[in-house]
Amino acid sequence: MTRTVLKPRTKRPAAEVPAEQALVNSPPSLAELQATFQDAILAGDQRILSLIPPNSRTTREVLFGVYSNAYAGRLVEITANDHELLKAYVGDEYFDTLARAFIAANPSHTQNARWFAEGLPDFLATAEPYSFNPQLGELARLERTLGFAFDAPEAPVVTLTHLQEIDPNDWERLVFCAHPSVRVLKFKTNALAIWTALRAGDTPPAFQHLEMPQTCLVWRHDVTPMVRALPAEEAMIWTEAMNGSAFGKLCELLAVFDDPSTAPLRAAKALQGWLAAGVLTTAEVVPITKPKARRKFE
Amino acid sequence: MSAGETHAPQGPSPPGTCPAAATSTSPAARLSPPGFVTCDIIARTDTARVRSPAPMEPLTMQDVKRRSSTLTPARRAQTKPSYLGFGLGLRAQHYADILDGNPDVDWFEVISENYMVPGGQPLKMLDRIRARYPIVMHGVSLSVASATPFDPAYLQGLKDLADRTEPEFVSDHLCWTGVHGVNLHDLLPIPYTREALDHVVARVQHVQDYLKRPIALENVSTYVQFGHSEMIEWDFIAEMAKRTGCWLVFDVNNVFVSSFNHDFDPYEFINGIPADRVVQFHLAGHEHNMTHIIDTHDALVPDEVWQLYRAAVSRFGAVSTIIERDDHIPPLAELVGELSKARTMAIEIVGPQLILNNRR
Repeated sequence: MTRTVLKPRTKRPAAEVPAEQALVNSPPSLAELQATFQDAILAGDQRILSLIPPNSRTTREVLFGVYSNAYAGRLVEITANDHELLKAYVGDEYFDTLARAFIAANPSHTQNARWFAEGLPDFLATAEPYSFNPQLGELARLERTLGFAFDAPEAPVVTLTHLQEIDPNDWERLVFCAHPSVRVLKFKTNALAIWTALRAGDTPPAFQHLEMPQTCLVWRHDVTPMVRALPAEEAMIWTEAMNGSAFGKLCELLAVFDDPSTAPLRAAKALQGWLAAGVLTTAEVVPITKPKARRKFE
Repeated sequence: MSAGETHAPQGPSPPGTCPAAATSTSPAARLSPPGFVTCDIIARTDTARVRSPAPMEPLTMQDVKRRSSTLTPARRAQTKPSYLGFGLGLRAQHYADILDGNPDVDWFEVISENYMVPGGQPLKMLDRIRARYPIVMHGVSLSVASATPFDPAYLQGLKDLADRTEPEFVSDHLCWTGVHGVNLHDLLPIPYTREALDHVVARVQHVQDYLKRPIALENVSTYVQFGHSEMIEWDFIAEMAKRTGCWLVFDVNNVFVSSFNHDFDPYEFINGIPADRVVQFHLAGHEHNMTHIIDTHDALVPDEVWQLYRAAVSRFGAVSTIIERDDHIPPLAELVGELSKARTMAIEIVGPQLILNNRR
């Protein structure tokens, strides 16, 4: 160590702090200092001030205030970056209130600000008064899911060309796997219609509870996050397909769901849509499973 | 570096975003043993202001790139990072202008956390820009001075990105960002005590062992200091660099901000930093509140910071430099203009050998 002296100006003793506000150990360990500093930012613990000298122009309260004032403002900004349309929907002032309530209840536990507001949809869905407006939580969930799709893992995408290489006689045994960016959401409100209007810069429609939940498919096409509503019939076979049902089984389900004569055509149309959107990562023909020979008991 | 820069705006892709081939990491690179050595001898100068240019090797960028490209990762780890010229902090708003145009920028610094994601546009853009420019990874969440143990997942993510991107070097800040599992997403000040120094040295060594390369650490802007500090900031930094062999990112704006907030002479800071450890300059602007300065990194580099930059170039010589704008991001051309000012100023002091052409 070449120099271990403080500059004279930094040696100025800190102003008196009430004894009850002083730290236990003086000087504190690094761990104690950091815990106290963090408590000051999160909960207004004033003991940290006893360690901080003023500068030649202003008080230690003002200087430390730079950190405490910046904390929530920065997290509000991070939350707003992820939820531009929620902010547009509720307005700047209400968004600030809402985000600060979320931040106060949810200190960040992530090293990457990218994931800080992951809990916002659940917070808005459960915390009063936000839960009285369930479209807020659903709007937030849609934005987060689009954000998830934006930088979800890479994977191959099945195209029509791939499928055309498969013998049509084998199509009934085709099973599918979704691209890792794909997520299915179910909304009880018209959150998708609100999102769509906000996205287009239009006045959003009035909030509605839906009689039947709306299913939405979210995915990434090339580098762009996408969302579209899934009609009830398509939602049903998508769920079945993701549970491992082969294409032939999907056709059978469609025959039960509606007009049997058009079921294969409707199934083909849905599949074509999935291929065009790029939501499938594999489409493989499963081998015909022979009935197992009955084992003889010994 | 200001505190709030950790989040990349998400937006629609620019036109023509055909993914470029990812830069591959050779198996040999992954298997190489820890290659860096701790430098025990640090050139120190006395505290008199040094105004004459520091001696430098006369290198062309072709020499630099040739030398750099033929080094094994282990050998590169023992070598001071190459001089890269004049660069910018990479911002998502500028992806299209960078890839479609040919801006007068020698290299880019990327915020590590913005690319520590599974896939999608950020990594595709990074790969395409990496294919054309040297890259430095600059993190904001290492929290190297925190009393809480490192998050292994964070270190692994940082290593994975470094293996993928093969940056010229990896940097973060001499600060802490939170304890007990909380991240305050800010670059927080440390007491300059012997205890903190021992702690930071051990943590820097841990990170360097883990990443198998020396890291570079940046001085942060601070608003408070601690009455029980036992040394001055630049002695703390110098001793840390001496004991760990780490490199230093010298943020000229941060020195100016802290010197005003804590009533010290910024030129003393410059002279107290070991010249051979400095591998990068940051230039940025701030918000002046008369009683204190808040580091915002959201404005033009002000005159006082340019003056300090001149002194830093005079003392440290040919050092890779960026304009680091974190908020109120202007069009790329504006930042390139500000960068030209830095280039012209540095060439006046050091000479025309600072002019490079890194672009591929």
